[in-house]
Order: sequence, then structure tokens, then C-alpha cells
Amino acid sequence: MKRVSFKTLGCRLNQYETDSMVSEFHKAGYEIVDFGQPADICVVNTCTVTNQSDHKSRNIISQAASKNPGAMVVVTGCMADNYKQELESRDKVTYVVDNSRKASILPLIAAHNTGEILHPDQLPQNVFDYGAVSKSLHTRSAIKIQDGCDNFCTFCIIPKVRGRAVSRPIDEILNNVKQTLENGFKEIVVTGVNIGRYNYEGLTFIDVVKQILAIPGDFRVRISSLEPDGFSSDFFDLFEHPKLAPHLHLCLQSGSEKTLLQMRRMYNLDQYQEMVRQLRNKYPNFNISTDIIVGFPDESEEDFQHTLDAVASAQFSHVHTFKYSVRKGTRAERMENQIPEPIKTIRSEQVRLLSEENRLNYMRTFIGKEQRVLIEKVREDFVEGYGEHYLPVQIANSQLKKNTFVLVKITGITGEGEKLMMIGEPI
Amino acid sequence: MMDFKIDTNFYTVSQVRHLTEHAFVVQVPRRNFKFTAGQHLVLGMKDDYHTREYSIYSGENEEVLEVLVKEVEEGYLSPRLKQVKEGDSLEIHGPFGHFGIEEKKRDTHKHVFIASGSGIAPFRSMVKTYPELDYQLIHGVRTIDEGYERENYSTDRYVLCTSRDDNGDFKGRVTAYLHEQEFDKNTQFYLCGNSQMIFDVLELLKNKGFGRDSVSAEVYF
Repeated sequence: MKRVSFKTLGCRLNQYETDSMVSEFHKAGYEIVDFGQPADICVVNTCTVTNQSDHKSRNIISQAASKNPGAMVVVTGCMADNYKQELESRDKVTYVVDNSRKASILPLIAAHNTGEILHPDQLPQNVFDYGAVSKSLHTRSAIKIQDGCDNFCTFCIIPKVRGRAVSRPIDEILNNVKQTLENGFKEIVVTGVNIGRYNYEGLTFIDVVKQILAIPGDFRVRISSLEPDGFSSDFFDLFEHPKLAPHLHLCLQSGSEKTLLQMRRMYNLDQYQEMVRQLRNKYPNFNISTDIIVGFPDESEEDFQHTLDAVASAQFSHVHTFKYSVRKGTRAERMENQIPEPIKTIRSEQVRLLSEENRLNYMRTFIGKEQRVLIEKVREDFVEGYGEHYLPVQIANSQLKKNTFVLVKITGITGEGEKLMMIGEPI
Repeated sequence: MMDFKIDTNFYTVSQVRHLTEHAFVVQVPRRNFKFTAGQHLVLGMKDDYHTREYSIYSGENEEVLEVLVKEVEEGYLSPRLKQVKEGDSLEIHGPFGHFGIEEKKRDTHKHVFIASGSGIAPFRSMVKTYPELDYQLIHGVRTIDEGYERENYSTDRYVLCTSRDDNGDFKGRVTAYLHEQEFDKNTQFYLCGNSQMIFDVLELLKNKGFGRDSVSAEVYF
């Protein structure tokens, strides 16, 4: 039996695509091993969103080759699109498969194993040809509803590596959800590159979420990272549904109007803050997390202060902070006043500290309240999981089983910094 | 049987109109390219990785597809595009974007277009597409020759603001012109141009009582 290992870098969409591939390889009779264990085939699903992602992806590719001499190394993901020629010229990389053909890696390898060498460009292109996840290390499974982006934000390489926005047919999405639930998952995450722009034969993102929520069963739905533009009050009403988790990762990127314009974002700060206000007015404990880019070209101290003010005002439970990194071929690459790395590092640290303070304050508001936790990890003396607000909860009881829901009362908070966790007692 | 696909993203240049030393219009046949006035496309030279986004300059129903290009002297693509000739091949993808006139406001509102430099492109597309539109176009440039093809707009609807030239309709920046103007409440504003102009105009309009619901913006640089 051939042994295959997978390594994923980057976003939830990449993770979903890997999980789906893992399931397909498992069904086809391959033995799935952890990355780092000896393998005959190593699949590296790369990311190219920042310089750091490129660096990590290159390291992982080198590790895969050096730790598995003679193994087949397959590189896919966004870096495979962005640096295709460079990767193809590497001796130890067997195949470079672009994103649009990623779903056909199994037949490519199967053909290779029978002596038929295909060029990856001969594989069919289909960004939605992913089956439901059945085998995964995670207790929640993503559902891909959309790919690509047409927004052309000036810092972002994604439109070049994921292509233009395309939406998955609704029937495929619903079948995928039903199959995933049949496979035992209790939580699904609606995902894509720019899911808010879903548009398939007149159906919108709101329609997709409504139809998923209407599927019978005891499961929970999360919405993954979302661009904050173009939502009506109908969208906010969706969260009245008990199956829809009260959490959104709404990408702000900057609190400066000037920087938002230079980033060519589709909203301004007032519009963003209005969304936050509406959500919190309707659902007081609603969890909002965000992405912030620090050190975008021409970002002044004043601009950065606006970002800190916005982070403090929105009380995000988590801020994923990125130091701006130049992406070749984007408009921001050609902008003047690039910010020195030491300044980006200082700004990033300031956001991190503020974010941790916000997170602690936010968690405190849950003490004495209930959360319905989906157990993810079972340790010797306790279990861990996430409540509906997407905050981690530790429960001192090892009898609870993985992938089950348990209703708890939050009694305290443990840990610090990034490792803050709420303590829950089963009710 | 061999399975092959014809790549439909390549277009043959049918005309290049040089408007000034640094600005020119590239035209290709529209073929089946459908778009809404205000949208942009992605343009590149054949077999070249580098692409740029350009707003569409021509109207929705014209037989040609045009973009207005301002040469960036130290740039990569625009100096190459300037050398393009009739018969050359270009790669075009799109259309993209959501900038455009809201259909429900088209006949009920006054439309004020505010452009700097080549940011006039999407507004020409809108004017060509909707000849009956109630609009005013305020175009900020440095010198009068940058009033690109202004014969396309009736003189009572077009205001050329020249910051370094006395021969426009108004001497000064668009913000200075706007500062002096009063607008009806049912005015919808559309801004296209560099981010600083858009930032300044948004502030100015906010002070005049027009919030973001009354303003759409497309940022150029």
C-alpha cells in the first residue's frame, strides 16, 4: 500500500481542498500518514499570500524532498500558480499542479504509478470537483461554495492565483453538505475566496446559507472569512437561526480611510462600523474577528493610530495581523513610501497586544453564561472544544467524547495571550 | 480525436488614437464581450505575465471595446501599450468590478461624475451607453490638452478644471470647484481617479451633507 502525506499552508479553503483530497486518497486505498512520517508521495498544498507564506512553502517543499528520498513530491496551491516555472525547474519536485487542477491530483498519481506520465496541464480544470470530506483531523469540515475574486485590492495576489470569481452550483453545495453530515461532521464552515459575492443563476450568498440551514439534523454552520461589503438587513436576520454560529471574521484591513482607499477596498470605515453596530445591537454577544494589514505603503503614524482606534472600538475577539509584504504584479508593489520592516514589526506588536486585551475582555463577558461546545480534543483530565461563539472552552471531564456537543456554563478563564481559554462546567 | 479549445481572450487591435503625448485609446472589436458601463477589464500583451486593470472607455452597445491609457513613463505595461499597432494581439479578461450607475436611480436622480485625469474613462462609457442621462461631468486635469475627447460631452454638462492652465472652464482643482457648488438632494455622485482626490472629495461631500450612500468611488492611482 502506497503511503501518502499531506501538508497544507494558508487559508481554510486550502485546508478544505486538502481534506477532500485526503478523503479521496483514503477511499482509493492509499495509507494516509502524518507529514514528517516516511511516505511514497508527499503533497504540499502551498500558500503565497505573503512573503512569509512563500518562505514557509519553500521550506516545506524542501523538507518533503529531503526527508523522503525518492518519494514523489507534488506541489499545488497558490504558490504553484504564482511561481510555476521556478517550481517546475526544481529537480526534486515531481509535479506542479495549479489550483484549477488540484482536484485531479489523485488520477495524476494513479497514472504515474501505472507508468503513465501525464503533464499536469493535461488534467481537467474544475475548481469545484471536490467530494465531501470523510477523513480529516478536524471536527469541522469546510464546504466550498465559491472560488476566485474580482475585487483587485491593490495588495492582493489572489485574483492572479485563484482566478476570477466563480460560484458553485447550489445543488452541488447542498449535496456536499448532506454527504459531509452523513460522514459524521457536526459543524460545517461555508468557505471560499470571496463568499459574499456568491452568485449562481440569481441565487445570492444569503440564499445559499438559508438553504444549508434548512437541511435537517443536529449540526452547526459557520461562515468563514467575509468581505464587509454589500450586505442588507436580511443578512443580519440570518443569525436568528439557531444553527448559524454568531461569529463573523469580517476583514477590516485598516482603520484609516485614506489607506482603505489606497487598498481599493469596497467599503469605508463608517460602513464597516455600521455593520458591527447592527450586529451587536441585534446580538449583543456577537463575536467579530478581523484581519489587519500593518505597514501598507504610505501608512503614516496617524493612519496606524486610526487602525488602533478602530480595533479598540470594534472590540474584536481576535485580530489576525499581517505585516504588509510586497506581492509581485500587484498595484501596491508599484506604490511609493514602502514602510520599513522594523516599523511594521512594532505596529504588528501593538495590534497584537491590543487584540489580546480585547480578547480577554470579550471572554469575561461570557462568565456565568452558557455555551454549546463541540468537543475537539480529548486529553487525560480534560477535553477542549469551541462554543458557538468560536471561543475555546476547556472542560474538566475526560468522559466526554470527541465530536459531540455538550452544554456548559462558563466559570472562568485560563491561560494567557494567544492561549486564553474559557473554563466550562457541563450543565 | 484531439480535444482542443480556442482561446477567446485574445483580441486584435483595430485602432490606437493618440490623444496627447502620454495618453492614448486602444481599440479592439467588442465581439461577445458584455459589460456594464463603469466596469473594468484586465489587459496584457500577448505572452506577457504583466497585466493591468483599465476601466472600459467605450459604451456598452458599441461594436468596439476601448480603454484609455495614460502612460506611466517609468511603468512596465503602459509604455509597451503605447507602441501597440493595428493588428497586434492583446489579452483581455473581464469584465470586473461593481462601479456603475444604479439602475433604480438612473432616471430619478441627477448624476455628478467627478474624475481626475484618465479617471474620466468609465464616465465616457456611461455617457455613451445612456445618452438621455441627466449628468454633469467635472474633470480635473493639469492642462487643457488633458480634457480627453471632450467633444463627446455637451458643453453645458462638462466642466474642465485645470490646475496649471487658465484655458479650462475653471482654474483650480476639482475640490475647489465643488466647494463653490450647491447640489440637489437627489444627486448621486460618482468618483474616479487618484485616491487623494477621492479622499478629499468624500470629505467635501460629507460636509455638504452627502454620505456614502450618495457616493460611489473607483480608485485609480
